[in-house]
Formats: sequence, structure tokens, C-alpha cells
Amino acid sequence: MTAITSFISQTMVYATVYTLTSLGIIIGGRTGIFNVSAEGILLASASGGFLTAYLTGSWLVGFIAGALIGMAFGFILAFVHETFKVNQFILGIILVIFGSGLSDLLYKIIVGVRLSAPQAPHVPAVTIPFLSKIPIISGILNQDVIIYFMYFAVIISYWFYYKTKVGLETRAIGENPKAADVVGVNVKRRRYLATIIGSALIGVAGAYLPIAITGTYSPDISAGRGFMAIGIAIFASWKPQRAILGGFLFAGIEVIAFQLKLISANIPYQFFLMLPFISVLIIMMIFKKQIEFPASVGKPYSRE
Amino acid sequence: MKKKNIIQNGLLTKLLRSLSLYGLALLIAFGLISVIIALLGFSVPDALKTLITTSFKSAFGFQETIKKTIPLIFTTYAFTIPFMIKFFNIGAWGQMLFGGTAVAAVGLLIGNFGLPSFIMIPLLVVVGILAGALWGWFAGFLKAKYDINPIISTIMLNFVAVLFVNFIATSPTFKDPLEGHPITRPLPSSAILGFFHKIPYSIIFAILAIIFVYILLKKTKLGYEITSVGYNLHAAQTYGINFQRTIMLTFLLGGALAGLGGALEVMNIHGKLIEGFAKTSGAQYGVFGILTSLVVAGSPTGVPVAAFFMAVLLVGADALQRTMQIPVEMVFLSQALIVLLIVIIRKKFEPNGGK
Amino acid sequence: MENKNLVELKNIRKVFGKVIALDNVTFTAAKGEIHGLLGENGAGKSTLMNILYGLYSPNKGEIYIDGKKVRIDSPFDSIKIGIGMVHQISTLVPEFNAVENIILGTPKDKFKLPIKEERRKVKKIMEELGLTFPLDVKTKELPAGVKQKIEIIRALHKGAKLLILDEPTTSLVESEFRQLLKSLRALVKKGVTVIFITHKIKEIMESCDSVTVLRRGKVQDTIDKEQMTKEKLVKLMFMEKDIKVTESALPKVELPAIKRSKKPVCIVKNIEVKGKEKSKGLKNISFEVYGGEIFGVASVSGNGEKELASAMINPSLLSNGDILVNGESIKHLSTLSVFNKGVAYTPEDRIKEGILNDGSIKENVLLGHHTEKRFLEKNLFINWNEATKAARKTIKDYNVATPSEELAIRRLSGGNIQKVIMGRAFVSPTDLLITHNPTSGLDVLTVEFIFNKLVETRNNGGAVLCINEDLDELMIISDRIAVLHNGELKGIFQRSEFNKYKIGLLMIGG
Repeated sequence: MTAITSFISQTMVYATVYTLTSLGIIIGGRTGIFNVSAEGILLASASGGFLTAYLTGSWLVGFIAGALIGMAFGFILAFVHETFKVNQFILGIILVIFGSGLSDLLYKIIVGVRLSAPQAPHVPAVTIPFLSKIPIISGILNQDVIIYFMYFAVIISYWFYYKTKVGLETRAIGENPKAADVVGVNVKRRRYLATIIGSALIGVAGAYLPIAITGTYSPDISAGRGFMAIGIAIFASWKPQRAILGGFLFAGIEVIAFQLKLISANIPYQFFLMLPFISVLIIMMIFKKQIEFPASVGKPYSRE
Repeated sequence: MKKKNIIQNGLLTKLLRSLSLYGLALLIAFGLISVIIALLGFSVPDALKTLITTSFKSAFGFQETIKKTIPLIFTTYAFTIPFMIKFFNIGAWGQMLFGGTAVAAVGLLIGNFGLPSFIMIPLLVVVGILAGALWGWFAGFLKAKYDINPIISTIMLNFVAVLFVNFIATSPTFKDPLEGHPITRPLPSSAILGFFHKIPYSIIFAILAIIFVYILLKKTKLGYEITSVGYNLHAAQTYGINFQRTIMLTFLLGGALAGLGGALEVMNIHGKLIEGFAKTSGAQYGVFGILTSLVVAGSPTGVPVAAFFMAVLLVGADALQRTMQIPVEMVFLSQALIVLLIVIIRKKFEPNGGK
Repeated sequence: MENKNLVELKNIRKVFGKVIALDNVTFTAAKGEIHGLLGENGAGKSTLMNILYGLYSPNKGEIYIDGKKVRIDSPFDSIKIGIGMVHQISTLVPEFNAVENIILGTPKDKFKLPIKEERRKVKKIMEELGLTFPLDVKTKELPAGVKQKIEIIRALHKGAKLLILDEPTTSLVESEFRQLLKSLRALVKKGVTVIFITHKIKEIMESCDSVTVLRRGKVQDTIDKEQMTKEKLVKLMFMEKDIKVTESALPKVELPAIKRSKKPVCIVKNIEVKGKEKSKGLKNISFEVYGGEIFGVASVSGNGEKELASAMINPSLLSNGDILVNGESIKHLSTLSVFNKGVAYTPEDRIKEGILNDGSIKENVLLGHHTEKRFLEKNLFINWNEATKAARKTIKDYNVATPSEELAIRRLSGGNIQKVIMGRAFVSPTDLLITHNPTSGLDVLTVEFIFNKLVETRNNGGAVLCINEDLDELMIISDRIAVLHNGELKGIFQRSEFNKYKIGLLMIGG
């Protein structure tokens, strides 16, 4: 029983990282900006968010810092792309490198080398009276604030894209920016907004890694999840409601792989740890036919 | 007569133009770096001097620079060749690791047979090339057949390769029992490339690679097809060039070169497989290869020079950490910054020159 | 009502890079008229109207609407003033249906999605104009003519009192043009002003109350209906160019009577191609092309012409049937091998599919020939000397205006680019030329040049398969015309049977 509960709650924790990150990528992608820099944002905001939480003693301020760092990355991405029309993928990769350098540098400068790593303040759990006492269900419900924030973000984005005219317009930009432009939608402004908001979500996911999961920062803490989240965004055909599915799927695989590693003695553990990475590829191979892309994602737009 | 003049003038102005672009980018970048160094409370002139001159002040500095230039050339090509058709091989790291690991494993397995150097070395070089080629080709295959973006697939394959290195370096068959870290036993001496005045012999392979890539891309049918796909995929396809074959080939070639780079690190620099061998100055060679390639806008001819320039900065970065305790990440970050500025400035002033 | 002019553009200047697209242009359109904007391709018509619509910003000049000076920085501003524009290339979101497309950008109720309500409104506007089209189908599945109607309704739904139509007849056949004209007349009656951009004189004569003629970015004259004559318009449009043109402003060429070959060069037998989502592919197509003839295929864009062109040079796309060239089946050959059999091709979209943009002219001329023996050494290395020779010959034979074969092709004008593409088709001996929309968007002199090359090929005994959506062009240069609609061949006409109205009807399945 406890094994199942712990599996569920662990999966939910990692699903939060995956879902928020891929949702952030989707939000950018829906306006045509393919945010490849997610891994860099995760790292930078993990470091920055953790350090802020550690220094201020407040988990909330830590998450806000994470979001702000994400927004800064998003702004740079949107600004350089929209102003100079630099290829989004080149930019994204430079930002990944930038983020990974920045994260370690910040930590080294502020904390330096210590025997015992500093710990982040605890993120409070949301407890629901009565329900939280039932086994298994408690594992599902008794979660921290950020997990609920993730649900909220998914629902809001779904509502936005499919139930509002602004959302319809925003999707139009992703499909055909010219179509949105000629009916008076400010394509540039929407692209900035979407990239910055999306990156803020990725920033929150980044801060979540050290503050809520490991309790402390370590180099390469994101371990490729920023790239796997790109896989999820694609697997989800850039739809928020499917991103959460993908998030849970990948988180589940990650947690199972880790548990198998502990149980199995015969097969070298490295092969279990390879599972999540290999399954990204396998899942994308299987779902190849179902995948849809916003037609303009990754492409620059200019009128002339 | 007149025609020729136009071309020559064109070339000269182009050269001057791109030199001034690089000058401008470096000026701004070093300005920013100076500000950051000053903010961190270090002496700017000292830091900049160390960063730039360490490579040239001593024989040791220069040898170190060459040692870093060689793998950098390989990983830069690994990125550059697929980038010629506008695809991103972020997997040079994994391909390098896979090449090096295969060499170590095979080398140790056949080490007892007592094969002479002139068989052992070519054999292991081929093993490294094949292993890297396989790892690279797979990403190209996934794109060609399953439309999986190579940015994702190569990263995933990187992680698999990292775990594979760990598996080999910790498995009882290969691990050096005397070492605490995941490190294999040393390769037999017949598998080891030596040094010439402390310059590794692997430099010969780097030079061969430079010549090979140049001839391949500029002179051959295959090179023409790669260039054409890079210019315009649709047109190339319309006129009969097979895209799927081309993308698999570019990733295969890139992977082969990275694999060779990894093999040479194992056979020449370390003499054994060390976990994390494909890293330098705080990050992996794959990432530096991407940055180096972007410095010259993915132009294959510019790779050797750019690789040397980046190696100078890396040697400088190590010296900064040693002598002034400035974290190496500082330089790493600055390199990303320099590249970003170069990319922007190039786009701004030669809208069609940058990719 | 002191002001009878709805639109006044004063002293507009627009420069793209080094090219002056518009030079001190002053343009007026009166309220409640259909005002033509005539000029050949590249004269600056679309640029001028894109400035009025806010898509381009002028380097100089002023815009007055209803006598008031206005500032238009983006379509947002122009829509607010009551300007609507239907672009030459569809600006609909292919994944959305008509209603979704029409309500995009409307200012009210941003955080609601009142589809039902809007659907009713749209229907009402449609009924008033007598237009019908499906409202709930993704627009990517609709033909170009229908998309155009949706775009007109979209503009009216946003309250346009000025409607700009940019080359609206490109993908319309004669009968559809009549229908469009009717709707426009109905609009004018309700007080809407229409600006009608075209390069076809006949259309201006039939539809416009007045016309402004542009040539090379300058206004030639504005004349009213009463003074419009074909000769006058031709003179204004082309001025110094010594050229004979038809009423569609196309060059006239002679098609001398010659004997076509006894055996066909190319036999297409019952071919089928599976279509991608938008198109229905090709169904059981058969025809023959003889040496010494130009065989035209007339098709409204999206009716299988793309598949036909692709399958001819890439037979792996065939799901059924066979293609013979000089008696040999090419069914199992790759594109490069098809080329080696004496087939040459010039694609529809010259920039997207025709050229290696950053490549030199030399590299471009070599494309598709690079596996021929002549251009190879030891079957591995490219013989760049031969490539240079071939490129220089192309530049000479096709009058390509360039200082050298090393120049990047993207620096050439559209006409010169098309000449290189056409020249590339004849680098090696060619028995069958497949050419798709060979003259779209080119100025009349280049069109004449291309026409002459096609006719010359025919006169020398070559076979030409010309797929074209412009029926006017096909009627000038073809010996026979086949009509393709919905992936099926609807008939083949001899030159003596050519009839614009009849063939046009077939093209839309009538």
C-alpha cells in the first residue's frame, strides 16, 4: 500500500516538472516560437530559485525568482528572434549553454564548496480535510501547492485556447502568422507575451526541482528533462490537455525505472536509468502519425 | 577581365567585412566580460591578460591548447556537417563517448592477444569511427523515418551514452580495481598513441580530418548534394536528391568524426576510459563544438581556426581558475555570450550570410 | 458630402533595399466605385495597397480617408478605419473553419467565443451578397475560389467600406469571375468602394468604373470608363516596350504549323496518385505528348496538377499506371534517372522548389545534372570546369543579367531566376520538358522570352507538357489543352476548339 502511495506521489512530483515545462514550451510554440532553451531555463531557475529560497528562507520567493529568471530567458529569446530574426533553434541552444553555465556559476559564487549542502525551505502541502486521510487517495491529494498550481495552469490554458477569442487568435498565429496579422492581431506582441509567460512556467518547474524534490541544488539537476519536455510538447501535438498526460506518462516511466533499478540485481542498473531516455524516442516513434504541429512553429515572421 | 575584378573585389570586401564583424562582436563581448569580472571583484586587466595570453606564454600553455584544439575540431565538425543541412547534432558528446568507450572495451578485450601496434591502432581507430558513426546515424535515421527532431534524439542518445560509459567503466570486466572512480584498466601499450615533443600524435588525425572534410564537401558529388540540401531542401528534393539518405549520411559523418575524437582521447591522452573524459574546462566538448561551429556560422572551412581560438580561451579559463580563483564557468558563459553576439551581429549586417 | 474621394494616397514612396518600388505615387478612389489598379507584374500595385492596408510602411507620403489625414501603422488601424483587403495568396488559417476565420481579430468579447451568434451574423452577410460556402469545414479543404469568398465576407464582417482585391482572378475561371463581378456590383450599390488589382486589361474593361495604371512604381494616368480603350491601356501599361500583347496583357506569339512526331515522346497510361489531405490525388489519367507539340494541362490550383507534375518526374508516387518516355517505362526510376532519360522539369514555385537560394548560378545550373557522366570525374568528384562551362552557356543563351556565374542566385530578379531554371532544363539534351506555371509573376518581356523558348523547343521537335492555371496563357501557346479537375481528366481540346468559357467551366467541374 505504501509502495503504491509513494509511487503515485513521486510520479506526481515529477509530472509537475514535466507538465509545467512542456506547457511552457507549448505556450511559446502556439505563437510560432519553438522554445528549445527549456533545459537552460530549468537549470538557471533551479540554481537561482534555490539560492533565493535559501537566502530569504521563503519557498515562495524562491519560486518567484525562478519564474522571473525564466521570464528573462523568454524575453531574450523573443527579443533576439523578433528583432534580428536569428534562428530560434540556434538561439535556444545558446541559451541552454548559457543557462547551464550560469546555474553553476551562481551557485559557486554564492554558496561555494561546503561539506553539507544547504537546504531549501519546505513547500507546504495542501491538505483537504477528511479526504486526505483515506489511503492512496491521500497520496493523490496530499500534495504541495505547486502541483495544484500545475493543474490550474493546464486548465487555464485549455480554457484560453479553446474557449476564448484571444486564444483562437493566438492559435491562429501558430498556424499562419500572416492570417493573424492581416486581421489586426499584433503578432509580435503576442509572441513576446507567450514566450515570456511560457518561460515563466518553465522557471517555476526549474525552481521546483531543488526546492521541492531534492531539497538542495546540484549541477545538472534537470538531467535532460527540459529536452524530454520538448518531446512531450510534440507528443501532445502542442495541446495543454495532452501535455499533462505526457507529463504523467514520462514521470511514471522515470519513477518505475528508478524503482526497478533498486529491485533488480541481475541487470546492470545503468540500463534501467536509460529507460526514460529511450522511451522518449520509442513513444515518439509510436505516435508519429498522430502528431500535429502548429504550421509556423520555429519559423520567423516578417511582413515584407 | 572585368568579371574577375568584381569577384576579387567582392572577396576582399567580404573578408574585411567579416573581420570587422568579428572584431565588433569580440569588442562588445570582452567589454561585457570585463564588467562581470569587475563586478565579481577581480582585476580586469589581469584576468583578460591571463585569458588571452596563457596559451602563448609557455610551451606548456601551447601544448595544452593543441590538446584541447584536437577534440574540439572533431566535435565541431560533428555539429557542422549536419548543420549544413540545417539540422542540429547536439549529440557530438554522446558520439564521442560512445566511440571512446567502444575503443576502450574492444582494446581491453583483445589486449591479451598481443597484437602489434600497426594492427592495434588502426583497428581501434576504425572501431571508434564506427561506434560514433552508428550513434550519429541513429539520430539521422530517427529523423528520416520517424520525423523525430534530432535536437531531442541526439540529447537522449547522449544520456544513454553517458550511462553506457558508466556501465563499462564500472563493470568488473573492465574496471581498474585500484581506482575509486569509474575508470577502466589501462589499454595495452600497443594501443597507445604517443606524443611528439608533448604534442599528441592525434594531431595527425585531426589534420587528415580537416583535409577529408574539405575534399568531401567541396569536391565530391556527395558534398554537392549536402550543400544543395542545405541551401534549399525543397529544391534539392524536387531535383532528385534523396533527403533521407542525405540526413542519415550527415549524421553518420558527424558521428564518425566525433567517435574518432573520442577514440583518440582514450588512445592518446588518457590511455584508458575515464568517466567524464569528454569534458574540459567545466563542460563537455560537444557543447564547445556547437559554440565553435556557430562562431564561424557553420562554415566547415573556418572550423580549425575557430577551434584553436576557442581552445585558447579554454586554456585561459583553466589558468584563471588556477591563479585567480575565477570559476571556469565564467569563461564558458562568456563564450556563449560571444557566440550570441556574433550570431546577432552577423544576422544584422549580412542578413543572408548567417544561417 | 463635400468630399467625393474615399481614399487619397499622396506622394507615396517605398524602397525595398535598393529597389524603388513606388516613386511619388498619388492615387485616389471615389466613393462607391470599382476602381481598377492596372499594371504588369512588379509595377508596384500590391505594394501600394499593402501600404494602404498597413502591412508595409511607406518611406514617404500621406494617406487621407474621407478627406481626413490618417495614420496607418498596421492592419489593426486600417480595419478600424473600414478598410478590408483580400490578398492574392490566401491569408486564412487552414486549420480553422470559415466562421473561426471570419471572427478572428474582431475587438469585442475577447474572452468569449460566441460561435453560434457569429455564425448567424456571417450567414446574414452571405445572403445579402448571394454567396454560399460551407461554414464548418476546415478552410484547407476548400478550393481557392471559395477561400476568396470567405476572405471577402471576413472583410465585410469587420465593417469594411473599402474593399481591396489583389489579383482576385488568379485562380478563378471565366464564369467565377462573372459571379464575383456580380457580388462586387451588389456591394457597390450598398456604398462599398472596391479597388480591383489586376494585370489583365480585359478584366479592367469589363468591371471598373475608373482605373489607375502603374508602371515601374510610377502612376501613368487615371482614366474613367468612358475613355478606356484597350489600346490606351496597353500603351500606359507598357509604354516604351515594343511588344504585341493580347487583351489579357500577354505577349502574342506565333505557333507555326509543323508536323508533330509520329510516335508520342511520352505516354501516360492510367496513372493514379494518392492525394495528401487537401487534394484528391489523380484518378486514372491517360494522355500522350508528341514531339513538336505543346500539350497544355489546364487546372485550377489544387485539382491534382501538383501531383501530376510530381509524378511525372518522381514515378515512385504512382500507385497505379505507367509512364513511358520514348517507349521506355520510367515507372521504377528515380528522379535523377528520369532526368537522364531526357526529361527536364521546371517547378511551379520557383523560389521554394526551383533554386538553391544561397548557391551560385553555377551550383544552380548543375542541380539535377550532377550525376551525369559529363559532370563527374571517377564517378565521385564533381567536374567544376564543366559546370562552369554549362553555367556560362546558360547565361549567354538565356540572356541572364549577371556579372558572373559565381553570383548567388538570390541576387537575381525573378525573371532572371526563371531564365536560369529554364536554361537548366536544357543543359543536357531534352526530349520532354515538363513545365509548371512557367511565367507566373513575371514581366511581359520575360514572359515573351519564355514563350518563345517553349515554342522554339516545340518547333525543333521537342515535346512540352505545360501545366498552367492561367488558361489565357495556355490558349496562346498550346497545340492541345487537357483539363484537369478533381484529379480527373475532363477532356482534351484541339487548338481549333479552344473556347475560354467552355474550358473554364470544365476546370471547375461545370
